[in-house]
Amino acid sequence: MHLDLDQLDRDAALRETAAGVPRETRKDFLLGTLAGGGAALAALVLAEPGKAASRTDVEILNYALTLEYLQAAFYTEAERRNALRTKLARQTTRVLGAVERAHVRALRDALGSAAVKRPFFDFGGVTEDEDAFIRTAVAFEDLGTAAYKGQAYRIDSPALLAAAISIHSVEARHAAWIRYLAGAPPASSALDEPKSMGEVRELVASTGFIVERPRTGSRAEPRFTG
Amino acid sequence: MVGAAVAVIGRGAEVPVAGVSHSLAAGLPERDPLGPPPRSGLAIPRPRLLTSGAAEITLWAPVRRAVAVHEAPSARADVTAHVPASTPERTTNIVVIAGSTRGERELWVPIRTRAATGWVPRDALGGYEAVETRLLVDTAAFTATLLRANRVVFRARIGVGTAAAPTPTGSFYVRNRLTRYRSAFYGPVSFGTSARSGLTDWPAGGFVGIHGTSRPEILPGRVSHGCIRMRNADILALARLMPVGTPVEIT
Repeated sequence: MHLDLDQLDRDAALRETAAGVPRETRKDFLLGTLAGGGAALAALVLAEPGKAASRTDVEILNYALTLEYLQAAFYTEAERRNALRTKLARQTTRVLGAVERAHVRALRDALGSAAVKRPFFDFGGVTEDEDAFIRTAVAFEDLGTAAYKGQAYRIDSPALLAAAISIHSVEARHAAWIRYLAGAPPASSALDEPKSMGEVRELVASTGFIVERPRTGSRAEPRFTG
Repeated sequence: MVGAAVAVIGRGAEVPVAGVSHSLAAGLPERDPLGPPPRSGLAIPRPRLLTSGAAEITLWAPVRRAVAVHEAPSARADVTAHVPASTPERTTNIVVIAGSTRGERELWVPIRTRAATGWVPRDALGGYEAVETRLLVDTAAFTATLLRANRVVFRARIGVGTAAAPTPTGSFYVRNRLTRYRSAFYGPVSFGTSARSGLTDWPAGGFVGIHGTSRPEILPGRVSHGCIRMRNADILALARLMPVGTPVEIT
C-alpha cells in the first residue's frame, strides 16, 4: 500500500488547491526560501574553517528550515492543544515535536541572519482531530524525507551533505513511526522517490497551512480612553 | 546465488580492485580509499520536550470573522457575547484560548471573554500563536511587571485611572500594537488591550490601552481615564519585550 498526500487527505486539508491560498502568502512561501539566500552568505560556515557556504547551500538550508518550521509547529501545536485521544499518539507527538524543534534550532543557528523568518501557520483544526492529525503527519514526514533526498545531489558542502543525510534518515524513521500509528506499512516500496523543491513547495502551498500573519500592528491613532 | 557468495567468502580470497585490498572474508574493503566521512556541518542540539522546564504558555488566535460566543460548544447554546473581527484601530482582532477543543463533526474552541469563558466554532478563528509573557499591573502599587518564562524581565512605575474612571481589574490581554501615530499624548508606542473602562460612552467603546505619555511629571498616580500610562523610555523598553497576545492581569 502506498500513501501519498491525496490519499491521506480525506478531509481535504491538504488537497486545497494552490489557487485557494492567498496570492501573497503563496508567493511569499514560494520565494521565501530564496529571500534570505543572498543576504549574509558569510554568516554560514559549515565546519570548514574559512570557507563560507555557497549560495545554493544557503538556499537549501532555508528551504529545509521552512519545512522544519512547518513540522515543528504542527507537532508543538498538537501537543499544546492536548486534543489527541490515544496515549501512543500523544507520546509520539511529544517526541517528534522535540526532534523537529531541534532541527529548527540547528538550521537557524547555522544560518544566523540569513535564516528565513518563521511563517505564521493555520492548521485549521487538524491538530485537534486525531485522525486528521495522523494522516497529515504521515504526509508531512513522507514529504520531508523526499525533500531532503531531492536536494542531496545539489549540496556543495560535504559537511552540509553529511548533516542533511543525518536529518534525512531521522525523517525517514519518523515517517515509518507515524505510518505505523496510521495503520499503514512503514516501508511499502523498494525505492523512495525524491521530490524536487518545486514539487514540495507546490504541495505545501496547496495545504493552506502557511498563511498571512495577522495584522496586529498599525500606525492608526489610538482610540483608547487615555 | 546466495549459497555461492557464502562459499567464496568462506574461502577468504582477496581481490584487489583499483588499489584497494578487498577481503572477501569480511566482504568489505580493508581500507576506505576516500577516508572517513565528513563530520556534520550542523550542530544538532539534543531534543527537548515541551514539558522539560516549560514556561506558562498562552495561546491566542486571530478572529477570521465576526462571531457569536456561546455558553456551551453548540450552535443551539445561549449566546453570551459577540466578538468582532477587527479592533477599533482596524487591526485584526484576536482572542485568547481558554482550554481544549471539543466536538466531533464540528470543532468548538473555548475563548476568554470579559465575563467568562465562551465557545466559538474553530473555523471562526485562524492559526494559534503562543506567548510565554504575562503583564502584571498593580493599581495600588502603581507598577507594571512583565514576566517571561516566569521570570521578571521588566518593571516600571505607572499611572492608572482616577477614582471617577478606574482602571478595570481582571484578566485581559494585549490585542494590538500601535506606532508612528501623530498624537504625542499616547507617547511613541501604544498597546490596545481587551479591557474596557467604565466609560462606556467613550468613542470606540472605551477600551483600555497601555501607552507612553506627554506628561511624565504626573506619574506615578491615579491620573488617567482608565489607561495604563508609563514614561516613554519605559513603554519603548516594554515594546521590545511584550508581544501581542500577552495576558494582562490587573489587580
